[in-house]
Amino acid sequence: MFLRRLLKNKMGLIGAGVILANILVALLAPYIATHDPLKIDITNQGALPSEENLFGTDEYGRDIFSRVIYGTRISLYISVLSVLVAATLGIILGSTAGYYGGWADNLIMRVVDAIMSFPAILLAIGIMAVLGGHIYNVVLALGFVYIPWFARVVRGSVLSIKEKEYIEASLAMGGNDLTVLFRHILPNCMAPVIVQATAALAYAILAESALSFLGLGAPPPAPSWGNILSDARNFMLDNALMTIFPGVAITLAVLGFNLLGDALRDLLDPRLK
Amino acid sequence: MLKYFAKRIVYLVPTVFLVTVMVFLMIHLIPGDPAALMLGEDATQEEVKVLRHALGLDKPLPVQYAIWLSSIFKGDFGASVHTKRPVAQSIMERFPVTLTLTTLAMVISLLLAIPSGILAAYFHATRKDYLFMGATILGVSVPGFWLGLVLLLFLSVNLGWFPSTGFVSMGEDLWEGLRYMLLPALSLGLYMAAVVARMIRSSMLEVLRLEYVTHARAKGLREWTVITKHALKNAFAPALTTIGLQFGALLGGAVVTETVFSLPGLGKYIVVSIYMRDYPVVQGSILFLAIVYVLINLVVDLLYGYFDPRIEYS
Amino acid sequence: MRPDPPVLSLEGLKTFFKTEAGLAKAVNGVSFSLKKGETLGVVGESGCGKSVTALSVLRLVAHPGRIVSGRIMFRGEDLLKLPLERMRQIRGDGISMIFQEPMISLNPAFTIGDQLIEALRVHRRISRSEARDRAVEMLRRVDLPAPEKRIRDYPHHLSGGMRQRVMIAESMLLNPDVLLADEPTTALDVTVQAQVLDVMYRLTQERGTAILLITHNLGIVAESAQRVVVMYAGRVVEEGLVENIFEQAGHPYTRGLLSSIPLPGRGQGGTGEPLVELPGIVPSLFNLPSGCSFWPRCREKRRICEEDEPPLKTLGQDHRVWCWLDD
Repeated sequence: MFLRRLLKNKMGLIGAGVILANILVALLAPYIATHDPLKIDITNQGALPSEENLFGTDEYGRDIFSRVIYGTRISLYISVLSVLVAATLGIILGSTAGYYGGWADNLIMRVVDAIMSFPAILLAIGIMAVLGGHIYNVVLALGFVYIPWFARVVRGSVLSIKEKEYIEASLAMGGNDLTVLFRHILPNCMAPVIVQATAALAYAILAESALSFLGLGAPPPAPSWGNILSDARNFMLDNALMTIFPGVAITLAVLGFNLLGDALRDLLDPRLK
Repeated sequence: MLKYFAKRIVYLVPTVFLVTVMVFLMIHLIPGDPAALMLGEDATQEEVKVLRHALGLDKPLPVQYAIWLSSIFKGDFGASVHTKRPVAQSIMERFPVTLTLTTLAMVISLLLAIPSGILAAYFHATRKDYLFMGATILGVSVPGFWLGLVLLLFLSVNLGWFPSTGFVSMGEDLWEGLRYMLLPALSLGLYMAAVVARMIRSSMLEVLRLEYVTHARAKGLREWTVITKHALKNAFAPALTTIGLQFGALLGGAVVTETVFSLPGLGKYIVVSIYMRDYPVVQGSILFLAIVYVLINLVVDLLYGYFDPRIEYS
Repeated sequence: MRPDPPVLSLEGLKTFFKTEAGLAKAVNGVSFSLKKGETLGVVGESGCGKSVTALSVLRLVAHPGRIVSGRIMFRGEDLLKLPLERMRQIRGDGISMIFQEPMISLNPAFTIGDQLIEALRVHRRISRSEARDRAVEMLRRVDLPAPEKRIRDYPHHLSGGMRQRVMIAESMLLNPDVLLADEPTTALDVTVQAQVLDVMYRLTQERGTAILLITHNLGIVAESAQRVVVMYAGRVVEEGLVENIFEQAGHPYTRGLLSSIPLPGRGQGGTGEPLVELPGIVPSLFNLPSGCSFWPRCREKRRICEEDEPPLKTLGQDHRVWCWLDD
């Protein structure tokens, strides 16, 4: 039904296409990559791009091209998981706050505000500093940082839907709070949540690569795009492609989610900025 | 209007309180013993115990929090484990660089964003507009630190237009300092420029359709005045909120940008301290930056009332 | 004695909107004139093009609308051919306009004082304090209590009726020859409507300003206007003196409008004429009927109505109708 409208939006389609391409690359990485991304070969350090190594090698002799290809897996994995964590917790908190109101609302929103009082990357850095470098720690850190986005959006939706009459009717007919919440209210909140999710996914990829670049993300030797860029600093002068390629990969992945997100936003709620 | 100001400030207190709790808990969530981690693997049990006691880590948690909080109020942010210097002092030395960087980034970004957003709204649905939307979507997709790396590589190292090592503060020498700050500020500010530009455009589009804009024209005002005075003042209010939020992104991004460009700012100091497990520094610096961010948003909230006087009723 | 030339006259005005859905002929060949100092009512249902007509006079029609053809004569010049800078000078000074909803036509970000002063200083080189004094004086003339204080208020501090009076004050600051009033009372409470109309009427009478009173409310026209123009689907269907039209409407549409006004005595249980609804709805401006646009709803239509556009018929002194029917 609105799939047709989605299909009409060219930007959205391009975005979806890019995302799909990324997913495919991630899934088919073993077939696309030319080498084992983790294989060290000291004899071939800092090689320039050649037929053998499309984008050259890093200081451990690892093939950059293959590392970037496998990097897609890490980016998608981490961002999807962290957004799932953030969305789940955000929905729980937001709907509780919106539905029950009163002190629960106050308390939850204060906590949410406190989280939002930190610049996102800063909070993620702080958490990673404490937890240490590990993929699941990144998921937790980013998942925590993005909770407020979802909590606020869900709370807003719940508040507006709560007032509608069919909720009263459903309660009058004997439905208990949880049923009403799940069957009637939440399904109607999904639209803004989905829009937020695409934005959060875009952010998560950027954040994860920044964290890795600082050495606070997926620990080496994981071929996260941020890690690759960090390693590339040693060879920046000789092998420009080594610096460019991972960045382009990040940009494309993020672009896909942003394009799709924009299209979804136009479709689902033109007033959501 | 004063009531609105007072309300906003009062509203802040519990939030700031929670912020301090969160920062406090950060250290105490470290897996393992903070003291042991700070001293490293070679430390003996006895040394760890002494440090624990010195740091007050053997007291109950709420008590530790109270002690910590009261020293924060006195301006004592603890001391670096490695250099033994007060964290507050290090913050004061390094923060100006970060502040300069973020302010410059913000200025550049607003100089780019506001005119282009206005023009895009004015030329809505023409090719110029589509070009704008394309550019801004790209702008929010490019990672800032990568942009910084690329700029550093091409403009500094290859072309030599900007220095690639060393540092001169803008306080000492404005123009020379600017040469050191320009590329970092540019790479940091681009994201914000794209976000704010879109916000201005959509806000202007909404406002330009409203009746008071037609009315302004009906009074005989020049189109320029209609757009920059009547439309923009109203359109700016929602964009202002975005700008405040984006300042936070700038503070966070500064950490990464300072690392890319090796600037002696607070951000790089935090990163280095993390490598060295100098937790008091990390804790104190993050708390400081969070408070700065909260204050900036308070200022933004207060400014909002200037652009949209109707706010006092909500 | 030669009659005074009209202060504003529209000749064959056509304003179309080009959208994705097609071409909307909002104003499709409208001609009428406004005499000096008179109040001319322009009535019709929503969507008949009356507001667009007013906007066209000041050339304020926004994209995707365009004035396609016609002439608008004011002070001996065709407004449609003037350079934009001259047009700008006339806006607010020679011809001013007030809008339907004063909450959204006054800028919420500026005080009413600022907005009045601005209106003055765009056209006259006077100091801010002189402008302020004139503004306060004008606010007093529109019966706004405590004008010196009010001048520092923002629009949202005032009630709807007060805001509309501010609009009237602003529009009259420069003694315009013509005031375009687009549904000035429609958004107001009934109790306040009379007050606002009163103020408007008084001020314009004092200064000899002609009013183009656009409304869908025939009652207001009956009270305030001397002549009236009836519009339907972008065209004028009848024009004349208010008394003549109310007593002996020439066009079936006008008759339909008049008999559908709920008045005491009408309708079931009453003893007066029956309350007759106009059947059907206003046609889409994208898809106007051929010939006379009214024929799908006309009880008296003939074959020729569907085929050709109706000619002008003069029914009496200053009473014109565009219809195929003979009376």
